[in-house]
Amino acid sequence: MSRRLSWLLVLFVGVGALAVGATRDRGPLDPGDRIDAISRRIACPVCDGESVYESRNPASEAIRSAIREGVRAGALDDDTVIAGVAEAYGAQVLLVPRATGLDALAWALPVTAAVVAIAALGATFRRWRAESAAIGEATEEDRRIVERLRASADDAAEEP
Amino acid sequence: MTARPARLAALVTAFVVLGLLVVLVRAAPDSGPTASTTLLDQPAPAVVGTTADGSTFELARRRGSWVVLNFFTSTCIPCQREHPELVAFAEDQERLGALGAELHTIVQHDDREAVERFFAENGGDWPIVFDDAFKFQNSFGVAQVPETWIIDPSGIVRARAIGEVTAEFLSTTIQRLRQGV
Amino acid sequence: MPALSLNLALGNAGLLITLVAASVGAAAGAVALIGGNRRAVAQTYLFAWPVLIGTVLSVVMMQRALAQRDYSIEFVQQVGSSTTPTLYNVAAMWSALEGSILLWVLVLAAFTAAVALRFRARRDDPLVAWALVVMYAVTTFFALISFGPASPFREGPGVPIGFDGPGPNPLLQNHILVLFHPPILYLGYVGFTVPFAFAIAALVTGRVGEGWLLETRRWALFSWGFLTIGILLGGWWSYEVLGWSGVWAWDPVENASLLPWLTGTAYIHSVLVQQRRGMLRVWNLSLLVATFSLTILGTFLTRSGIINSVHAFAAGEVDGYLLGFFALVVAVSIGLIGWRGDRLRAPGTIDSPISREGAFLANNVVFALFAFIVLLGTVFPLIIEVVQGRQTVVGAPYFDRLSMPIGLTLLFLMAVAPVLPWRTASTELLSTRLLWPARIGVATLVVAVLTGADGWAPLLAFGLGGFAAGAALRQIALATRRHGWRGLVGRANGGMVVHLGVILLAVALAASNSHTHSATIELEPGREVAWGGHTFELVEVVNERDERTDTARANVLLDRTKVYGPAVTTYLQMGMTIGTPSVRTGLAKDVYLTIDGTNPPSPDASTVVLRVFVKPMILWLWIGGALMAIGTIMSAIPARLHRRPTDPTSVVLGATDR
Repeated sequence: MSRRLSWLLVLFVGVGALAVGATRDRGPLDPGDRIDAISRRIACPVCDGESVYESRNPASEAIRSAIREGVRAGALDDDTVIAGVAEAYGAQVLLVPRATGLDALAWALPVTAAVVAIAALGATFRRWRAESAAIGEATEEDRRIVERLRASADDAAEEP
Repeated sequence: MTARPARLAALVTAFVVLGLLVVLVRAAPDSGPTASTTLLDQPAPAVVGTTADGSTFELARRRGSWVVLNFFTSTCIPCQREHPELVAFAEDQERLGALGAELHTIVQHDDREAVERFFAENGGDWPIVFDDAFKFQNSFGVAQVPETWIIDPSGIVRARAIGEVTAEFLSTTIQRLRQGV
Repeated sequence: MPALSLNLALGNAGLLITLVAASVGAAAGAVALIGGNRRAVAQTYLFAWPVLIGTVLSVVMMQRALAQRDYSIEFVQQVGSSTTPTLYNVAAMWSALEGSILLWVLVLAAFTAAVALRFRARRDDPLVAWALVVMYAVTTFFALISFGPASPFREGPGVPIGFDGPGPNPLLQNHILVLFHPPILYLGYVGFTVPFAFAIAALVTGRVGEGWLLETRRWALFSWGFLTIGILLGGWWSYEVLGWSGVWAWDPVENASLLPWLTGTAYIHSVLVQQRRGMLRVWNLSLLVATFSLTILGTFLTRSGIINSVHAFAAGEVDGYLLGFFALVVAVSIGLIGWRGDRLRAPGTIDSPISREGAFLANNVVFALFAFIVLLGTVFPLIIEVVQGRQTVVGAPYFDRLSMPIGLTLLFLMAVAPVLPWRTASTELLSTRLLWPARIGVATLVVAVLTGADGWAPLLAFGLGGFAAGAALRQIALATRRHGWRGLVGRANGGMVVHLGVILLAVALAASNSHTHSATIELEPGREVAWGGHTFELVEVVNERDERTDTARANVLLDRTKVYGPAVTTYLQMGMTIGTPSVRTGLAKDVYLTIDGTNPPSPDASTVVLRVFVKPMILWLWIGGALMAIGTIMSAIPARLHRRPTDPTSVVLGATDR
C-alpha cells in the first residue's frame, strides 16, 4: 500500500471514528450527572474559592440538596435552577462563556493574546526567512572556519 | 530592525506588570477579624429554631434590638476558651438595659444535656437555640464553630467574626456600627 | 523553664546568623566583584556555610519546640497540640505561614550551599560569584521576613498551666501526603532560584553566551521535576482527602504553583534551541525571570489573603514585603536585560516553521498563553473588584473551557515535534515518520469509541494522545536500536519518557473529567442497593473515639466482594468535621465512596447517605506522574554526551553532520 493511500485511510478512519463518537446519542442524562454539572457552576458561598461540587461544607450540602430538588421537579433548564439556587443562598455563579460587560474581558483577552502571539510568530518567521535569504548559501570559506573552530574546540575538550 | 519588536515587547511587559501591581496594591485586604459574607448588609435569613425550654425561636421577631448570634458546640475547644468572654459581654450588655444587645447561642448538632451541663458549669444565662434542622447553619453558611454574627435592630446582618471573639471586640464593634462608622 | 526559652533563643539566633551571613555575603560579594578584588571574590562562597548552619539551627529548634509542645512560643500555641501524632507534628511546621516561610528559608539555604559546593572549584569566576550574590540577596529577603514580620520564634502571650493548643488544621493531619507535598513543592519552587541567579549573573557579567545555560540546565531540570511531583502529590492529596473525587480545582493556590511550572516547562524546551542554535537568548532569560518572579507573586497571592482560597493562610503581615520584592525582581531583571540588550542580539535565524526549533517556538507560545490565561483567571476577581467594586468568582468552568484547546494543541505538538529534524523538514519526511504514530493515534481513537467514549473533545484528546505517544515511542525505539540500552536510558529518551507521562496524564484527565458519574444513595443495613453497575450494602457503622478525634465509619460491601470504610471524623479540638473517602482503585476505573450529609452517622444509625463517584483511569494519573519523574531523572543524569558542550552552538548553514 502506498504511503499516500495509508494516510488517506488513517485520515478517513480517524474522522469517521470521531464523527461517530461525537454525534452518537448518549441516552438520557443521568439526574446525578445533571446535579453535578449544575453544582460545578455555583460557588460555595462560605468556603473560599471552591465550587459547590467540590465543597463538603454544610452550606454546599444544602445547596446541593436544593439543586437536587430543582432537578427532580422536572422540566427546568440548568440556568433556571442555577439562578434560583444562587438567589436563595446568596451564592455566586461561576463565570461561564456568556459573560457580559467587563466580565467578557476574561474571555476576550486570552483570544486577543492568542491572535497577537500567532501573528507575532508569523511575522518573526517571515523576517527570519528574509534575513537568511540575504545571507545566502554557505561558502567554502565558511566551512573552513567551522572546521578550524571545531578542531580548536576538540583541543580544548582534552583538558579536564 | 530586530530591536524594535523586542523593545515593544519589553514595554508591553513592563506596562502589564505595572498594571498588575496597581491592582494588587489596591486590592490589599482590610485585615480585620470580620470575615466577609454575601449576607453582609443584607436582611438576615428568617430562620426558626427551638430553645432549651422547647419554645420556638424566630430570628425575624428579634427586630428592634441588636442581636448577636454565637455558633457553638460544647466539644469545641475554641468555643470553651471563648466562653468567659461571652459571659463578660452579656454582663456588659445587661448593664446597658434596653440599649444592650441580645446574645443567643446557636448550637450545632450537639447533645442537649452536654450543652446544658456546660452552661451550668461555666455560666451564661442567655437563650440557647438548638439548630437541629441545620436551618441556621445552612442559611448563615457556618462551616466551623465558633462563629459570631451581629445583626442590627432592623434585621440586617452587619458583621461576622470567624473564630474566637473577645468581649471587647463585640462591644466596640457594636458601638462602631451604632455610630455608623 | 530553661529548656523552653532555649528553643526561642536559639531559633532566633539561627535566623539572625542566616540573615547576617546572607546580607553580608551579598554586600561583600558585590563590593568585591565591582571593585575587582579577586581574592575577596573567591571568598564569596564561604558565606553559604553560616547561612545554612543558621537555618538548620532554627529549623531544628522549631522541630524541638514542636516536639516539646513549647507553648512559650506563639507559633507553637497556634499549631501545636499534645494530641497530634508525631508525624503530623513534624508537618505542623508548614501548616501555617511563619513555619512555611522558615521551610522556604531552609530550602533556599540548602540550594545556596549546594551551589557553593558544586562550583567551589570556580569560586573566583565572576559568573559564579555573582550568582552566589543573587542567591544571598534572595536568602536575605526571606530570612528578613522570617526574622521580622513572619517570625515563627515570637514569644507568645502567657498561657495557663495545662494549656493545650488546637494543633494543625485537621485537613493537614489527615493524610500522610501532608508530610511530602509541601517540602517537595518547595524544592521545585525554590530551586528555580538557582537558574535565575545564574541568569542575572550572566547579565551582570555580560557573559550572555551559552555557558551559564549548560551549567544550570540540570538545576532547572531538577527543580522542574520536583515542582511536577509536588503538584501531582497535591492532586493526589486532594483526591484522597477532600472527598469530591477531584485532583485539581483551579484553586488560586494550585494556580500559583502551576504558573511557574508552565513558564519553567517552556524554558526547558526553548533552552534546547539556545543550546543548539544560540538563539532565543532574551526569551530564555525572560522565561527564567518570569518563573522566579511568578513563584514570588504566587506566594504573595496566596499568603496575603487578598484572594480567597481553601489553601490560603490567615492574612499575614508579609504581603507588602512580597509585593515589593516581586516589583524589585521584575524591575531589576527588565533593567538588566535592557542594559545588555546589545549583547543579547541572537545571531542566526530560524529558517522554517516546520522544524524542531519551529515546534519549540510554537510550544513556547502555547505555554506562555496558558500561563497568561491562568494568571488572568486568578487575578481577574481582583481586577473587577478594583475597577467596579464588585465581587466575582472565576471558577473551574472558565479554566476548563480555556485549557481544553491549549491541551489539545500541546498534544498535537507533542506528536509532531519529536520527529521533526532541526532546521527544516520536508513534507515527504514528515509523512514517512508520522505514519506509524498516526496509525497508533487512530487505533486509540477507535478503541475509545468502541468502549463507549463520547464527546468530541475527549475523543480528540484520546486520538491525539495516541498520536503523541506513538511519536514518543518511535523516538525511544530508534534511540534504543541505535545505541542499545544506553540509548534506551539516554538523555534524549528522558524527554520522551516525560512526554509519555504527560500524555497519560492528559488522557486520564480527559477521561476522568468527562466520564465521571456520581450519585447520592441511601443505605440501610442488610439491603443491597444497585447503581451504575455496582452494588452497595451497608454492613455496619463503627464508632472510634480517642482524645483527638471521633470517627464514624460506614462499612460498605461493594459488589459483594470487599468492604470499604468511608468515614467522617470530627476533630474535637477544632469542632471541625472531615470526611475520609474510601476508594477502590482499578486500572480501568475507581469507585470512590464518601459519606454525605452534615451529620455523622451514629452507631445505631438506620441509614447512611453515601456519595459515590465512578471515575475512569484515575490510576493512570499517578502512573503518568511516575513516568514523568523517571524521565526527568533520565534527562538529568550526566551521561556521556552525544554533543560536547564545547561544540559551537551556532552552527553555520550546511555544516551539520546529522
